[in-house]
Amino acid sequence: MLRVKIEDPGSDAALMVAFAAREERAAGTLFERFASRIYGLGVVMLGNHQAAQDLVQDTFVKLWRTAERYDPQRGRLETWVLLTARSLAIDSLRRRVLESRSLQAVGIQPEDDPAPLPDERAAAADLSARARRAMACLSPEQRSALELAYFGGRTTAEVAALEGIPQGTVKTRIRAALLRLRDEMAKDADHDV
Amino acid sequence: MTCDEVRELLPEHLLGTLEGPEDLEVRRHLRGCSACREERMKLEEGVAALSLVVHDQEPPADLRDRVLRTLDEEWEDAGRPPASKQRGRDRSPWRAVAAAAAIVLIAGSVAFGTTQAHRASVATADAASYTNLLRALGGKEFSVGQLHAAGGSSFVGQVLVYEGDASKGWNSWATVFVKAPGYMGDATATLIGTDGEALALPSLRVSGGEAHSWIVTGDDLSGYDRLTITTPDGNVVATGAIHPA
Repeated sequence: MLRVKIEDPGSDAALMVAFAAREERAAGTLFERFASRIYGLGVVMLGNHQAAQDLVQDTFVKLWRTAERYDPQRGRLETWVLLTARSLAIDSLRRRVLESRSLQAVGIQPEDDPAPLPDERAAAADLSARARRAMACLSPEQRSALELAYFGGRTTAEVAALEGIPQGTVKTRIRAALLRLRDEMAKDADHDV
Repeated sequence: MTCDEVRELLPEHLLGTLEGPEDLEVRRHLRGCSACREERMKLEEGVAALSLVVHDQEPPADLRDRVLRTLDEEWEDAGRPPASKQRGRDRSPWRAVAAAAAIVLIAGSVAFGTTQAHRASVATADAASYTNLLRALGGKEFSVGQLHAAGGSSFVGQVLVYEGDASKGWNSWATVFVKAPGYMGDATATLIGTDGEALALPSLRVSGGEAHSWIVTGDDLSGYDRLTITTPDGNVVATGAIHPA
């Protein structure tokens, strides 16, 4: 059953110090801990495995270049890594939109993204199914706000505009959604004991 | 900013969509409010749960090598030899195994916290045996060093450096053993050369008051004449001179 593991912040700080010092072992540890989630995020947000692999590579390079900025007092390493990856994925999505618009502006039809292979479609479908099951514990409103903010990279103001609701309501829904997911996972963990 | 105001902004702060001055205010508030930090922690756990459940997927097997290779290139371009190359270019697997076995044999003779008369090399009391050992290993020389505590720390230890004969295809290696009663965590042992060049060994993971680290490399280690141990916050906790055995 799924558990959300709390890593020791002291050891995470030491891990990042070692990574910043170019220790291959530290790089390997970070890869083992986070690559699967970064890769999965790439599949969900960018839609294909090649882009997801590129996202993993780009994320690790960025993590190293910014390693000295990591401060355990400001949040967990997990969050920092995931949001770095998410930020890069959002940049990638925005570039695609801009490139598409630029090409269309000069009358060139942008090339379609390479069609996903059958196994890619299956993997994406599996992730979608898992997403739906996880999100099933949320209300539709909470789910929508969280998806737009987390996967879509929208600010609460943008989500509010898209959904036609007050910004304060969006903030409340996102907060409630995250806390609900956390509580659901904690409940599952308790049942395992 | 009040706690209620901060908690309303925490999801955006967490997801990185909060603008500069507001984000600064939230961070300032968090530094001084454990209750809000706890709230942030819960939201972070929610993000972690979301990521584990929604988008955790095994990447292709070769992606790890690709990423580590990319980091190696990044580290090289940044101006220092990457860590993977510092671990040596084994020309032959069996020689690396033999070198590692020699480390184990010789390291087994090292006693912690003993007098300076106790040398790291088991053969120093028997010159003939020492010569035979070097001949068997194909090496040039052993060097040893005693590590002394610095800055009021509890760190003591020993370092042993073996200089292989590169002309015969042998690697060199260095191993360090420390005792640090009361210390738990990581530390870094760094060889310092006469020209100021530094070579860091893999992390010392101190557990139960002891740790060791070693490195096997095709590089020449004869130019290193000191070793320092530093903690992650940069404090020097032990140092020692290295001299031929």
